[in-house]
Amino acid sequence: MFLTVIGALNEGFLQTLRLFAVTLLGAIPLGLVISFGSMSRLTPLRWLARTVVWIIRGTPLMLQLIVIFYVPGMVLEGGSPWPGGESGRFLASAIAFIINYACYFSEIYRGGIQGVPAGQQEAGLVLGMTKSQIFFRVTLLQMIKRIVPPMANEIITLVKDTSIARIISLQEVIWAGYAFMKGSHGYSGLWWPLLFTGLYYLIFNGGLTLLFAWVEKKLDYFK
Amino acid sequence: MKKNRIAASALALSVCLSLAACSGGGETPAPASSAPAGTAPAGTPAAESDLAYVREKGVLVVGITEFEPMDYQDSDGNWIGFDADMARAFGESLGVDVEFQIIDWDNKIFELDGRTIDVVWNGMTLTDEVLSAMECSNAYCNNAQVVVVPAGMADQYQDVESLSGLTFAVESGSAGAQQAQEYSFTYNEVVDQATALLEVSSGTSDAAIIDSLMAGAMVGEGTSYDNLTSTVTLNAEEGEQYGVGFRKGSDLCPALNEFFASSYADGTMMQIAETYGVQATIIPQ
Repeated sequence: MFLTVIGALNEGFLQTLRLFAVTLLGAIPLGLVISFGSMSRLTPLRWLARTVVWIIRGTPLMLQLIVIFYVPGMVLEGGSPWPGGESGRFLASAIAFIINYACYFSEIYRGGIQGVPAGQQEAGLVLGMTKSQIFFRVTLLQMIKRIVPPMANEIITLVKDTSIARIISLQEVIWAGYAFMKGSHGYSGLWWPLLFTGLYYLIFNGGLTLLFAWVEKKLDYFK
Repeated sequence: MKKNRIAASALALSVCLSLAACSGGGETPAPASSAPAGTAPAGTPAAESDLAYVREKGVLVVGITEFEPMDYQDSDGNWIGFDADMARAFGESLGVDVEFQIIDWDNKIFELDGRTIDVVWNGMTLTDEVLSAMECSNAYCNNAQVVVVPAGMADQYQDVESLSGLTFAVESGSAGAQQAQEYSFTYNEVVDQATALLEVSSGTSDAAIIDSLMAGAMVGEGTSYDNLTSTVTLNAEEGEQYGVGFRKGSDLCPALNEFFASSYADGTMMQIAETYGVQATIIPQ
């Protein structure tokens, strides 16, 4: 029984990890794009970016998942645009999570970028550097150092937030644990698998914590 | 070092963009946007034939939850149960594959209308809400709502009067919740019937109201909840029935009713029912 449960939970946790990894890969760069938008000198672009951030941060992720997954099939002629089976639910979850986390990341980036003293940019301009040179060679690494602690916070939250995707029936690890209460792999009425899923999160987040501590140490040479 | 970081972030950005492109491309597999409307029976409000839509994509997506003895997994992870086997046979009669999709029961109408599933086939009690939101098949199975209490306290709760002081756990939106309202019991709504049982087992609620079919499979000796037992049947007289739900106006519904009739006539339906021990509850078609 233990091995069956572990097998099912492992499968669920793989799905959790997949969603986590894809969200990070997507949201880290997209957040940078959005943060540039929200600091842009073009007023319409700035307002667009800030409105998007307002809407995404101002509504529950759970609601965003429901809207992204169910509404297209209700309004589009040809039915749901999402691929059938689990892959469609994963794709919808990934997109919702990327957009949601990109908005949070963008604000962290903005704080990091604006926290770099303006004098450094002025110095760069005096030296004849272009704007992009200044960003990539002067600002970026200092920003990265500044944003590591708040990003670590968000990323650890993301690991646990992936469980929200169960609202559109993505079968991540919490779902897999819950299933044993209702009847899964020949067992029903078991409650311990659900509690056991906590260990998965705890161990994975423990690893992440060590990783971030290491990264912070590595970046220590920027004062 | 710095170049590598820039290259890495450029790579991540391109992954992000291709993902976005992928989401745009996701619209292409949308099937049957111009399905022949001529096959729809006259008078159905559906703009196009649901049957033709399902046939064209070649797969009937059946929305289920884990629910013994109707839809549940065997130890190899295959979907079995009375409803699962019947759904497979129905798909065969239509000439399409059957795909089982686990759904959140609260979202069943979203799932149907968003066309992420084609049918809800999961021991669904035909309540007024269900009948008004879905195109429902003929009833195929009798059910009732029973009260589940800890086995040691069963003697004290053998009639409806004795239940009034208890706090109940019921699945939100379920027939059990309706019963709790009708009897003006104190109750908490939980996400599903299995959680309602967990509440009783852990003592956070005094009793649960669940489907008698489910209680038969999940409560009592030889089950994981051998510390619980079912006592009073709340709606024994009027009873209730299970049906299958489709999108409003779907022509899959009459097709299923025909299938039920022929499968009852040739004995397959009862044969499947006996496999799962629900033969006594089957309604003649």
